[in-house]
Amino acid sequence: MANTRVAVDVGGTFTDICIMDETTGAIRIEKTSSTPDDPMRAVMNGVGQANIDLTDVSMFSHGTTVATNALITRNLPRTAMVCTEGFRDVVEIRRANKEDLWDTYKDVAKPYIRRRDRLTVRERVDAEGRVLTPLNEDDARRVANVLKKRGVRSIAVCFMNSYVNPENEKRMRDILKEVLPDIPVSISAEIMPEIFEHERFSTTMANAVVSPVVVDYVARLSDRLAEGGYARELLLLHTGGGVMTPNAVRHYAARLAGSGIAAGAIASRFIGNLCGFPNTIGFDMGGTSTDVSLTYQGEPRITKDWYIEYGYPIRFPSIEVLTIGAGGGSLAWQDEGGSLRNGPQSAGAYPGPACYKNGNRTATNTDANVVLGRLGTSLAGGKITLDPALATEAVRSTVAEPFGMELHEAAEAIVRVANANMANAVRLLSISRGYDPRDFALCAFGGAGALHGAAVARELSIPTVIVPPNPGVTSALGCLLVDIQHDFSDSFMKRADQTDPAELEAAYRKIEAEARAQLEREGVGEKDMVITRSAEMMYHGQWRSLEVPVPAEITDVQDLVDAFHAEHEREYNYARKEAAVSIFRVAVKAIGLVPKAELQKHDVSPYTPDPVTRRPVWFDGTEYQADIYEREALTAGAKITGPAIIEQFDSTTVIPPAMSTEVDAYMNILIDTKG
Amino acid sequence: MTSNETNPLDPVTFEVLKNSFITAVDQMAEQMLRTCYSFVIYNRDFSNGLHDAEGNSVAQGNQDIAVHVGTLHFTCKDVIRTFEGEMKPGDVYAINDPYAGGTHFSDVRLIRPIFDDDTLIAFSQSNGHWSDLGGSVPGSFDVSARDMFREAVRITPVRLFRAGEFCHDVAGMIAANTRDPASIIGDIHSQAQATQVAEREVLRLVKKYGRGQVLQGMNEVQDYVERAARQRIAALPDGTWETVDYIDRDPGSGEGMIPIRVKMTIKGDRIHYDFTGSHPTISSIYNSAPGATFSAVVAGMKTFFPDLPLNSGFYRMISITAPENSVVSAEWPVAVTGFLMPFEKIMNAIFEMWSKIMPERAIACAFNLEYLLAGGRDLRSPEKPIFMFYEWLPGGWGGRNGKDGSDVTTACFGTGLMSQPNEGNERVNPTRTTEFQILRDSAGPGKWRGGTGVQKTSVLLDSENAVMSYICDRERAVVWGVEGGLPSMPHGLSIRRNGEDASKWLGSVFSDYPVYTGDEFARPTAGGGGFGDPLERDPEAVREDVIDDYVSIERAARDYGVVIREVDADLCEYEIDLPATETLRADLRSKRVGWARMAPEEVSDLYKKGEIDVLDVVRRHAVILDWETGDVLPKTTEQFRDSFEKRTVAHWT
Repeated sequence: MANTRVAVDVGGTFTDICIMDETTGAIRIEKTSSTPDDPMRAVMNGVGQANIDLTDVSMFSHGTTVATNALITRNLPRTAMVCTEGFRDVVEIRRANKEDLWDTYKDVAKPYIRRRDRLTVRERVDAEGRVLTPLNEDDARRVANVLKKRGVRSIAVCFMNSYVNPENEKRMRDILKEVLPDIPVSISAEIMPEIFEHERFSTTMANAVVSPVVVDYVARLSDRLAEGGYARELLLLHTGGGVMTPNAVRHYAARLAGSGIAAGAIASRFIGNLCGFPNTIGFDMGGTSTDVSLTYQGEPRITKDWYIEYGYPIRFPSIEVLTIGAGGGSLAWQDEGGSLRNGPQSAGAYPGPACYKNGNRTATNTDANVVLGRLGTSLAGGKITLDPALATEAVRSTVAEPFGMELHEAAEAIVRVANANMANAVRLLSISRGYDPRDFALCAFGGAGALHGAAVARELSIPTVIVPPNPGVTSALGCLLVDIQHDFSDSFMKRADQTDPAELEAAYRKIEAEARAQLEREGVGEKDMVITRSAEMMYHGQWRSLEVPVPAEITDVQDLVDAFHAEHEREYNYARKEAAVSIFRVAVKAIGLVPKAELQKHDVSPYTPDPVTRRPVWFDGTEYQADIYEREALTAGAKITGPAIIEQFDSTTVIPPAMSTEVDAYMNILIDTKG
Repeated sequence: MTSNETNPLDPVTFEVLKNSFITAVDQMAEQMLRTCYSFVIYNRDFSNGLHDAEGNSVAQGNQDIAVHVGTLHFTCKDVIRTFEGEMKPGDVYAINDPYAGGTHFSDVRLIRPIFDDDTLIAFSQSNGHWSDLGGSVPGSFDVSARDMFREAVRITPVRLFRAGEFCHDVAGMIAANTRDPASIIGDIHSQAQATQVAEREVLRLVKKYGRGQVLQGMNEVQDYVERAARQRIAALPDGTWETVDYIDRDPGSGEGMIPIRVKMTIKGDRIHYDFTGSHPTISSIYNSAPGATFSAVVAGMKTFFPDLPLNSGFYRMISITAPENSVVSAEWPVAVTGFLMPFEKIMNAIFEMWSKIMPERAIACAFNLEYLLAGGRDLRSPEKPIFMFYEWLPGGWGGRNGKDGSDVTTACFGTGLMSQPNEGNERVNPTRTTEFQILRDSAGPGKWRGGTGVQKTSVLLDSENAVMSYICDRERAVVWGVEGGLPSMPHGLSIRRNGEDASKWLGSVFSDYPVYTGDEFARPTAGGGGFGDPLERDPEAVREDVIDDYVSIERAARDYGVVIREVDADLCEYEIDLPATETLRADLRSKRVGWARMAPEEVSDLYKKGEIDVLDVVRRHAVILDWETGDVLPKTTEQFRDSFEKRTVAHWT
């Protein structure tokens, strides 16, 4: 009887494996070096290293960076686009704006598909969906043959107004399939059936270019797992916060772009729910950057405005993650106006912070933490030793001397600037979206999250910080306990007061049928299907919409309108009850439930542990003799009061003075920032 | 340097406050973008500012449109002048007055005083381009206006909220003077709420750091930017640079371009711009008031200091002199709605002068912004609603030192501005786009070519009483190259009447032109000017451009002297004939100075006979014709050739 769950999260440096025994809920962790040339090697290495018997595995889920890396490095197979005559440049013209408004030497990158490979055919549909010009089949065959001659590996079909009538795009696909039966074809009306051609074409383009790469990877990995005796479907984590099967990957390959980033956010949600915090802010701080995400009432905040490269939106609903250039390796510096800055430049993994002894002499956050005694000089169980003299020298020369500060004052200044920058990022995602940080718990993970989490939380008046048991591999945990999930949507575009509830109900039924069909193809039984509805709505005349939950059976459109006013009030601090409201899109989230398993729960018996040692640690200009603990030795119920430091293999937790801490039944450290 | 220098803020508090001020205005922007009604705002024609109690800019948004830079403090100060002593918490004021430092009437600024207890400590300002402000044509751009009275509603400072209560009477009166009252009221609420976002943030900072430190922070961030900017200016050699750029014409007088002369002097850590010699105001809307001219100077300069934050500290080392009531210093009631035309000339002139000072950031001329406004009745639905089609296109930016120009990019007055989706156009307006694509051969040739322009062609569908206006320039003052690079092409719109074969050239500026169902109008935008001698361009780069159809085989030979043959277009195979290329380049080198000085009448004859085309006329012969008739414009040509000799011929070897 298969009773082991395996989740693998591939990162830039390490591939993390999380193995769960379904009967006991116990979890063990394995880490192996990533193999960027073929990530599958690291996955299989890890499986071997962890002695996993694949015949025992009931669920194998995987967060992969294959799609993201292919897009970032542009290591993409030759892909073509077939467009309506006169519109071959939609993806190159984009919306014509720039990311850096002022630097005339910084350009937006060219589209993933070059102009020479964007060909056109005569066809045209109007804004109401009427076919003005049927697809010219001679053109279509000519184009298909040219693409065959060129040996393209994937094709996007992007026609004007296809979101209202996909007929011409579908016919184009048929003809391409006749000539090029083995080449994947992504048509815009299926990939992202929504108005505004650049956003639709761009999503379709991203899907087409990653499709051969991702499909090949998934097929190879599935085969290897099957050879090893894994009998179920491989599950792949997508940015929307669920998993999908290889069958769905074949159609929606670009949903895997950003998969790695989503894993941390999902883990944060999961851990928050486990500890009784439905509202969490995920704070994943690594060596060069910090990813911030937000879960409200158990649901991660979703956005459709995201991209891997600026200018090329991918409109699949995705967990909203704000990334800022602040990490353990971020450099402190003085700019020409005399201001103390921190990041976004980073010492990276190599040479790394000054105390890593690889030649960097500029102070980083890590160096400052060493000087303050918050970080010990032996990390990763002694595998890495840090040189406090080099850290001191770096802090002295980078900050203390130029600003005329004492050494510890300077180190604290570096950390405070970093914390303030990260707090501002959290503000952008919370306060400016109408969420009060005081209603949230901060889930701190990643290599440096627990080092800074308590201070950032205090800055934002967040009452609780959660540090999960293995902060360095939390993302892998995010892949472990998720359901299959798909998102389907359709344009609606009507004023609410002119909408017949029956018509709206029919629009939902149509996409729900598609959603069920997809889940059925993935082997999900009817009883495990959960379908929830939402609508994108706006005040009539506005340009951006808000997502509003919609009941399973619509009887009165006014219910949606009331929900919209309430959401507008929450998000923007005002509602215009006198104004007309429009429904822009209808959407459903289709979940295929994966049988639940529970994490191991420990008995909580409160006690005060004895510190392993003490060392001087600086907070707010004062030197304390802080208690130092080893996390492995702490059991559920341990109570610790700051100032204290808890060290473990992959992370260090800092508890500032007067904050109290407790280890809960799931071995999370909960820090009460109020004391 | 006004702040307390004996006790500056500690570096951490300073850095935290500086970043928090910027975060506050970025939060305003985010809120505005998500709640706006005007599609112009939605496409990012807006800006937000935080000001100190005197109205000076403390922070402006990172993604704000360039054209508002350097103007927000003027309107804030005008509001202070008007309401000094009577402001209350919860008040919000509106102003759109270009004669008080605003840009044009369409940019309406909502300003909120921020109080800590009863003390006024700051202002927040939200500035957005509304869809319509009345006046004689839809969208409020009447190019034939001579004064402000037919342009739009001028809003001198008025109160829109009194202690939190919406002044529906005043708001209603403003909205009633526009073609889009529902959106106007919606945008008032959207912008007023955005200013409240900054108020919340500032008060949070006061609670945490105390009023004294926050006020000191507002001063110190300005000093900080000033210090950084002065240091960089001081590091540059002292000197004087000058140039001239042109507006195409004054519709009220004869042929001949309208000069904007700029002389820039750097002395120590100060910089002065002198517009002496610039033309008096002209009888169209292409005039700029002093506030907008200041903005153009700041925006042009900021391009060479891309990393400096924006606030009043940046403005302190800049001074400007201009003749009275000139095209760059227009006074009430001269029409100024088209101020962007002089604005972009100033920006490009500054690009040119700074390119000499910082060759590593050098750039040739960018295309000229253009926008089309059409309005009438939409017969596609039985109620025949009014439609307003208002749209701008991207084009090419100038070639750079070591890099081609940026292709299809939004105009330099506002690089954050987005172009509009055709599918949106077609849904909302009775138009259908038949083409929207990169325009082959639109880029100015150079060793580093300009970026490419585009062409958009649309057909007017079922409509009645429709009229069209077009606001553009550089039909004659054609986008220029530098360091031996060539101009790109003239701007201008053509129309093909329903049922006719030939199209008619309407040029770059007209208004209230009647159009009918089935008429087709084509709008090309120019590419950027070339940088460096096109005969020195790597032939391989020319071949790549031919493969991607940015450049035709024919113009590869004529402009670059590169001979390319098609081998198999299906497989994208083209080959360069190197010996033929060398011969052709030698031939062009020997003839081109003569071509550039050929008698304009002779050029006109060749053009009329069809032996040369418009690109040859401009790029080879530096002659400006009336593009409809082919007749020479003698004075314009003389002016154009004068510049061409300096920017291009003088650099050929």
